[in-house]
Amino acid sequence: MDGEVTVSELAAPFEMSLPAVSKHLKVLQRAGLVARGREAQWRPCRLEAGPMKDATDWLVHYRRFWEQSFDRMDDYLKTLKDKERDDGSDG
Amino acid sequence: MAAMVEGARGFEFVIEREFDCPRDLMWRLWTEDAHIAAWFGPKGCRTRCLRNDFEVGGWMVYRMAWEMDGRPTDHGGRWVYREISPPERLVFISSFADPDGNPLRHPWQDGWPMQILSTVTFAALGDRTRVRVLWQAFDATDEELVVFEAGRDSMRGGWGGSFEVLAEYVASL
Repeated sequence: MDGEVTVSELAAPFEMSLPAVSKHLKVLQRAGLVARGREAQWRPCRLEAGPMKDATDWLVHYRRFWEQSFDRMDDYLKTLKDKERDDGSDG
Repeated sequence: MAAMVEGARGFEFVIEREFDCPRDLMWRLWTEDAHIAAWFGPKGCRTRCLRNDFEVGGWMVYRMAWEMDGRPTDHGGRWVYREISPPERLVFISSFADPDGNPLRHPWQDGWPMQILSTVTFAALGDRTRVRVLWQAFDATDEELVVFEAGRDSMRGGWGGSFEVLAEYVASL
């Protein structure tokens, strides 16, 4: 089931009222992750693939951010150790 | 587990690593300007610590500069310290920020929470230290929470783009 669906189709598999589903959809819409058509009655919903991908990608991005920071920390610790050793041998 | 903090809810981002370094030194690496600047930020970036009022409620303000596709770029952020418990636990609120420390929205991720609660814990393992960073959205709007929560889905292989996934997601909110 890709493309466009109605709120009732979306809500069908869950024990959730239509107003509750609509409320969640409004949040997703305001976050730019879901778009809704203007066609009168049934206002179909669809995923905004680009923003949705950016949103799920943040974790990959920040995992890399921290992995690389930690790599730099490892290198930095080595230079501190070398410095300590060199200082020690001088003194 | 982190203690529950009022204002923090939803998805928890966690990253851990063990370092060949005693805990007291690790604590200094996270709390002293010159040390922070030496490692904080991804490969190839140059970090400057512009200020560090190291006390609860105080700010650490930094800038990071690097090259993106051959062009120089930079951004900055701010930590506001909430808990300082040497040498075990450091808790602060992270935000993007200008050089004066005024909070800004995420430069390229729409809807990213303005405030992230960062809980950093240091476990001593003899002469080694295990560092754990935990992030939670803090005082987030529903829209910000949705964007932060989306990270959970990347661990399940990302969004399929199908409405089964969307329906499941709506149900999980």
